[in-house]
Amino acid sequence: MLQFITAILTSLSAGAIYALMSTALVLVWRSTRVINFAQAGQAVLTTYIGYEITIRTGSYWYGLIAAILSGALIGAIIDRFFMRPIFKRIKSGPIVMIAPVVATLGLLGIIQAIIGFIWGLNYQTLAAPVSTDGYKIANTVIAFSPYNLMVLLSVTITMVLLTVLFQKTNIGLALRASAYSPEIAKLSGIKVDAVRTLGWAIAGAASGLAGMLYIPNSYLYPNGMDVLLVFGFIAAVIGGLDSLFGAVAGAMILGFAINFVATYISYKLVFPTAFVILILVLLVKPGGLFSSSKGRKD
Amino acid sequence: MHKISANRKRLLAFILLGWALLFIGDRVGELQQYQGAFVAMYALAIASIILLTGYSGQLSLGHSALMAVGAYAGALSINNLKLHPVIALIIAALVAGIFGLILGIAAARLSGPYLAGTTLALAISLPTIANQFTILGGEQGILFDIGTPPTRFGEEFSQYKWFFWVSSLAALIMIWLLSNLVHSKYGRVFRALRDNQTAAQLAGINVGRQKAVAFAVSSGVAGLAGGLLVMLISGVSPSAFPLSLSFSLLTGAVVTGVYDLKGVMLGGLVLVAIPEIADSIGSRVGGSDGFTMALPGFLVSALLILAVLFTPNGPGQLLKKKM
Amino acid sequence: MIRNTRMKRISIVSAVALAGAMVLSTLPAQAADPGVTSTEIKLGLSSPQTGTVALSYGKLPKAMKAYFDYINANGGVYGRKIKLIARDDKYLPTQAATQTTNLVLNDKVFALVGALGTATHTKAYTAAQLAKNNVPDLFVNTGFSGFDNKTKYPTAFLILPSYAMEAKIIAKFIADTPTLKPQASFLIAQDDEFGIDGVNGFKLGGHTFAAAPTLYPQGSLTSALAEGALTKLSAAPGKPVIVLMGTTDTTATILKAAEKLSLTTKFNWIAGSVGGDANTLLALGVKSTTIDGVMAASFFPDAKDTTDEYVSQFMKINTKYNPGVTFDNVVLQAMNTAMLTVQALRAAGKNLTRAGVISAMETKGSTFASAGLVPLNYSKTSHVGYNGYWFGQLNAQGELKPFGGKLTAYTTDSTSTSAPVASTFVRKPIPKNGIPTN
Repeated sequence: MLQFITAILTSLSAGAIYALMSTALVLVWRSTRVINFAQAGQAVLTTYIGYEITIRTGSYWYGLIAAILSGALIGAIIDRFFMRPIFKRIKSGPIVMIAPVVATLGLLGIIQAIIGFIWGLNYQTLAAPVSTDGYKIANTVIAFSPYNLMVLLSVTITMVLLTVLFQKTNIGLALRASAYSPEIAKLSGIKVDAVRTLGWAIAGAASGLAGMLYIPNSYLYPNGMDVLLVFGFIAAVIGGLDSLFGAVAGAMILGFAINFVATYISYKLVFPTAFVILILVLLVKPGGLFSSSKGRKD
Repeated sequence: MHKISANRKRLLAFILLGWALLFIGDRVGELQQYQGAFVAMYALAIASIILLTGYSGQLSLGHSALMAVGAYAGALSINNLKLHPVIALIIAALVAGIFGLILGIAAARLSGPYLAGTTLALAISLPTIANQFTILGGEQGILFDIGTPPTRFGEEFSQYKWFFWVSSLAALIMIWLLSNLVHSKYGRVFRALRDNQTAAQLAGINVGRQKAVAFAVSSGVAGLAGGLLVMLISGVSPSAFPLSLSFSLLTGAVVTGVYDLKGVMLGGLVLVAIPEIADSIGSRVGGSDGFTMALPGFLVSALLILAVLFTPNGPGQLLKKKM
Repeated sequence: MIRNTRMKRISIVSAVALAGAMVLSTLPAQAADPGVTSTEIKLGLSSPQTGTVALSYGKLPKAMKAYFDYINANGGVYGRKIKLIARDDKYLPTQAATQTTNLVLNDKVFALVGALGTATHTKAYTAAQLAKNNVPDLFVNTGFSGFDNKTKYPTAFLILPSYAMEAKIIAKFIADTPTLKPQASFLIAQDDEFGIDGVNGFKLGGHTFAAAPTLYPQGSLTSALAEGALTKLSAAPGKPVIVLMGTTDTTATILKAAEKLSLTTKFNWIAGSVGGDANTLLALGVKSTTIDGVMAASFFPDAKDTTDEYVSQFMKINTKYNPGVTFDNVVLQAMNTAMLTVQALRAAGKNLTRAGVISAMETKGSTFASAGLVPLNYSKTSHVGYNGYWFGQLNAQGELKPFGGKLTAYTTDSTSTSAPVASTFVRKPIPKNGIPTN
């Protein structure tokens, strides 16, 4: 019984982090129709920045704020000065599909290399701001600590904020319109380019948050979030790249599947499980679970 | 008449290239022969990506897994079925091709990023499956011995030269076949799929089936490349096919022009030469540990970004501008 | 049409030109035995300098180089200075194959030292044709007993005891210790040669675990999964024994998961040699109260034991020639290997040849001075290095002290079921100032 509860709790924690990554990827996809592989690099970079601030100020919270803000800034810079020139140059042909993806791959490599230049390749650790010891319930310690609770709450609040932003505000409307139909949006007076940059900024902030929440449970090094990127991407695809809700749902499904398979069957099946879930979902719904049936065909 | 002479011209070009490689192979040192073998292997792998992405418009991030399938099939043929190495390489291509066909059928309905995601998941999960079955040798892997060069070539014929010959010949033949394929009716069908699926459908093309065919052929080629790779490292193991290999192949394809098979050799050269150059720059410039270690990755990524920015259609574009 | 042919020609020509440039940039190879001149000996090392395994072994190249620098400053080997060329193989077999080939063909090293990893080095050995070129492959850093095979790997010499040996000795230790024997025991191991060799070793040692070993692919055990694994095992009554055979980062993850679940005192922890370096564990965030009491096997004196003459001498060299790097078990191991290398080179005589080094290792290798507390087993028929372990327990300062107070080393083999025997081996005293004069 305890094992079952543990599996559920750890799945929730894992799923929450995946949700942040998949949300970031979906945000970029919706605004730019690009799979941003560099998201992992951005996340690690902003976490290093957060790490430095934490060490110098002695407070995790300052580091967290720094990570979120720098994440937004870096995301915006990447869109404005990197992605936009690429889109200007590549207007026609199927290269349109590949070039941005490949460009973000290249960007990932550059970011990781820069991190290696500045901070070296050693593993760093970041201490959590609250206790990581599990709560004690009826004399048993469960696999859920104050820190896990903090992660879950942060992710939930972020999701709620994002949903409110997108559904209830004018900016949110602008974001959705620019993604869905840039020409019409432009005609309505929306500055599509600026709005797109905003999308990248929000995504960058989300991945910055993901990094700071993830690293205390793991180790900080240039490739530290590569696996997270892969799982975040798979989660986003499972949920349907067009849907924020899908991103979260996909992340939870993936998190639960992986943890349960690992706990009850074998740890060796972690990656194959991800693949099987993905292909099962896509066989039934090629656009992901929560994709809208009417929508742009890519 | 027109078509026949174009085909023949191509055949002639390939034969010429083959002789040139033979000549070069005789004149260079063992290290260059070994590197040359890698170049040929990478060129072949890049060709498989160009076929799939440049010609039929499907993006795959999982070609490392397809190479692995071919590699294991080849290794098992030699070790368990005791077949001749050349037959093993053919089996490598066939098995990978069949695997690709199944995958292609399953993925035919998927577009752009969804296909990319699926192939990505395949790339990370397939190597770990090798651990599950003892017949696949687990993490240790299986030996792949292409054997020593035939004795009639004499004492001086080094193992590396043999690698170079086998690798280059296999790559040359396969790329010639591919070249014929893309210049045939199939090539036009694939390009139609790439450019406008709806129009292709209206023109009567069975989109799903053709996409699967493209995937199958691409996988077969990748499988052969995988067989060549493990020949060069004398054994196959899961860690020989990391996700980064898929990304490298994509890099090579973009850098040399993803639309055209002509650049593949250049792509292979880039994949082999750039890490070497980066290494030597790193050791010459010195600097902190972090710097020298991260430098090769930085150079490769920078090259990729420059290529995407300035020659998204391949270096041929630069040449075209000059004419 | 014209454009196409011209482009074709241009791309062919440019490709040939690039290839030609690569050709012309290299000089042809000469010399009877490459890598040796009257002033220099070139040695090559292919090891992971990046990646999760680098956490455990990243310090290897610089530590070895530090010792070689020390020897060079003191006359070298019969006047020849040792130059160590270290290449990063990222623990990937493809990279190891190409890097080792590079070392042999490009850097033209005289011999290889300290090659690391089983999957990596088995591929590299064949790909680089070490047997054909008779390249000495000294002191391979792996526990894979398969390298002791004169047909397949005639020039390879092991140094580390195999993981099978380690497992057999741990099995005996558990059976001999009254507080451990009656407990249920479990194994959490990496799903590769570390773990699998260990699993086999436990079988050879006649040890049965209470459940099938938990195997995980390298680098994939997240804290969430570790928590699940420990929760499952915590259902066992008493104070079960958990053996951890994996890299340091995963060992740290598991121990930290135990801290989170307040399970640190629930289990008797035994850390395998690869992941058991206390310094690294502490640096990765494991609490010292958790380390206190963890058991581990070793064949060296503890790297913090300054009363040991080898440790103190190596520490001095490390401070001077490898500044900024903390002296730990990996540095100790690396310098020990370097010292053995120097002795091998010396034993081959002033007329240094590859065949000479190999022969010297076989005839005199077992008599070399080394920091190990178990004997070296080189001979004409065996290329096995160390073949034993002693058992210890870590304290809160991260020092490994002999379990039960008295240090007893046990030796065994990798393939038979015969029980480990207590060793009467007495270590040779360190040559004066750590400079061999053999």
